[in-house]
Amino acid sequence: MIPYQYNLRSIWVRRVTAIITVLGVALVTAVLAAALMLAAGVKKSVSVGGQDDVAIIMRAGATGELESGVDESAVGLVLSQPGLAQENGKPIGGGEIVVVVALDKLGAIGFSNVNMRGYSDQSLKLRPNLKLVEGALPKPGTDEAMVGRGILGRFKGLTLGDQISVRKNRPLRIVGVFEDGGSGAESEIWADVVTVRAAFGRQSGVSVVRARLASAGGIEAFRAVIESDKRLGLKVKSEPDFLAAQSEGLSKFLTIMGFIVSLFFSLGAIIGATITMHAAVAHRTREIGTLRALGFSRYAILMGFLMEALVMTVTGGAIGLLAALALSSTKISMMNPATWSELVFALAPSTQAFVTAGLFSVGMGLLGGFLPAVRASRISPLAALRS
Amino acid sequence: MNLPGLAVRNIYRNPVRLALTVAGVAVALLTFVTLRTAVMSWDEAKNYTLKDRLVTRHKVTFVMDLPKNYADDVRDLKGADGKPLIRASTFLNWFGGKDPAHENDFFATIAADHTTFLTVYDEIKIPDDQLKAFNETRNGAVVGDLLAAKFNWKVGDNVTLESPIFGARENGEPWAFKIVGLYSTTSKAVDRLTFYFRWDYMNDGVRAEAKDRVGWIASRSVDAARAAEVTAAIDKRFDDADTQTLAQDEATFFQGFMGMVSSVLAIMSYLSYIILAILGLILANAISMSVRERTNEYASMKAIGFRAKTLASLILTESTLIALAGAIPGVILSYLIVDVALGDFLEYNLANFFPVFRVKFWTYAEAVAAATVIGLFAGIVPALTVARLNVVENLRRVA
Repeated sequence: MIPYQYNLRSIWVRRVTAIITVLGVALVTAVLAAALMLAAGVKKSVSVGGQDDVAIIMRAGATGELESGVDESAVGLVLSQPGLAQENGKPIGGGEIVVVVALDKLGAIGFSNVNMRGYSDQSLKLRPNLKLVEGALPKPGTDEAMVGRGILGRFKGLTLGDQISVRKNRPLRIVGVFEDGGSGAESEIWADVVTVRAAFGRQSGVSVVRARLASAGGIEAFRAVIESDKRLGLKVKSEPDFLAAQSEGLSKFLTIMGFIVSLFFSLGAIIGATITMHAAVAHRTREIGTLRALGFSRYAILMGFLMEALVMTVTGGAIGLLAALALSSTKISMMNPATWSELVFALAPSTQAFVTAGLFSVGMGLLGGFLPAVRASRISPLAALRS
Repeated sequence: MNLPGLAVRNIYRNPVRLALTVAGVAVALLTFVTLRTAVMSWDEAKNYTLKDRLVTRHKVTFVMDLPKNYADDVRDLKGADGKPLIRASTFLNWFGGKDPAHENDFFATIAADHTTFLTVYDEIKIPDDQLKAFNETRNGAVVGDLLAAKFNWKVGDNVTLESPIFGARENGEPWAFKIVGLYSTTSKAVDRLTFYFRWDYMNDGVRAEAKDRVGWIASRSVDAARAAEVTAAIDKRFDDADTQTLAQDEATFFQGFMGMVSSVLAIMSYLSYIILAILGLILANAISMSVRERTNEYASMKAIGFRAKTLASLILTESTLIALAGAIPGVILSYLIVDVALGDFLEYNLANFFPVFRVKFWTYAEAVAAATVIGLFAGIVPALTVARLNVVENLRRVA
């Protein structure tokens, strides 16, 4: 093998083009890592806090809370089934209404939908992480609402003390700001279930019922009871299962987009690496000839030049990953097609994202360095020394 | 030989590098054009909307509907002079239908009032006999020809859909439709991927509290120039009612949806700048390498009297020419891949998201201009280096 110092020094000699190549790879790696961190961020924020022993009961054909509907009569029936955790002789659980309101987005053209959840005191029992960070809890039965910390200030009217209109002369006043461990609820507006029900004309029922099971293992039995009654037309999902499905579409979209864009971007970086390595080989024909004459094999030459390309792209990859890491506190607001509403989430650094993007930079080095390295390995020592 | 001639000759001196650089620039511009087109297509779709078509929806949210009598009130709206403001009006509901046979394929299902629908959406064309059948068949549906081709539906087929929004029909029966017609359109304002069926059939089947409610009202104003006045009049009409409305002309309505995709568009926009940065790196790499190889030549040229300014412009010409050499195949590739292939694919398969996906002339111009400017900038550092070249030192290096 050729001593690695030889290749490292060769890179240093051509440092301007080497730096340019490294930067190109860094950009591509950063883009891919950021895209994967976006996808991971969606997953994380949607599914964080999901509890195994919380069941969500919704209409059989519904994929989300928004399109689900459970009749008032069915709510009582569901909550009277065996298998639910009890408190003071009553089941822990209740109906929630989920609607969307179209609000003007601040700092962008147009509006987007924001999830509004009508909740009861039971809902709070099912979300142990939820706590008020500013203001007060909305008083039950009033036109007061609290807003998640993520969505706060991103839409017109969504600031403490401000108001949004939901029905004539009865605006909802934002009296509190809450956080919920970074979950999707932080992108929602919460108001009393009775208030939301009245404002949105949903007198006949709720969107979903959430209930705590006596034990996480009891979900199958509970499901069997609810789903066997075809007239109810309801289905039961555990909270983690339900939440995982809510992030699937958007995170898949971001992952696929990330790969497609990075693939095209990487063509540029690969070509950059090839140009650099091609020149490196062309300039060192005599050196390579000498090395061959000294007894280094074609294979050693091939590996040497491949290593040289890899050193550059992996350095670029590392810089790109650091750049992506620097983005990790960035918050993004995006519409989640599964809920038809905005989700605010932070880019989440994940091992998977970093390994994938890191490997991608190795791949760029191998692809960009391969042809020049093959060319180097084919240089005939005699011809090279004669030149 | 003149200077531009020399610059051209210089470009060809390393054919492999030239080929790689040209390929790199072309691919980068292809990516740039794709991203820009995706960003612009939303704006572009707006150009197909009609100025005299108005959409009236619930003021607060899409999930709530309006009383059906609102549709009559909008239709009969009169101006201060007592003359009608609306010349045609219809009402529609989002049904949210899903075909169990195509569970993962999204398509829009809309209940439309069959008696008025085509007066508002006159771009929709249905053969006369099929239209007659639609009017005579209560559970009849007319389906976009592209959607029908996608699912292999034909006139006469029976299709059963599920609606998570409305559940089963009130009488417990499924939502069974008969496809009585296929529609095409004469404008991109309306997609060819929607499943339209009769509003009265929907109204029969929904639960009591959902009866006689309409999702939104679409109308044509008497005068496109008076859109703002008419929409204001519609909203004012319901100002004192329990449910207030938001009426907008079709373009403004469409623009509103930008908010839902604004972050995706912003990301694509950033990405289009990053690809330009990568393009710049490719060009800077190629030109600085060429100049480095020819340092001694430039030293010789200086020695025989060429001025620094001349040499610098020689290098800038070369780097700009390389960029242009890549920009031309880049534009051709973009036309073939983005405008023709991808455009056709998206407009047929994803018309709900990209009703129009065609490269604008301006995007090509932007791409060529960006490549030229970046090519020029890529040459600046090498040009300065050569301009400051110390003749004696570099000639000695040659020897």
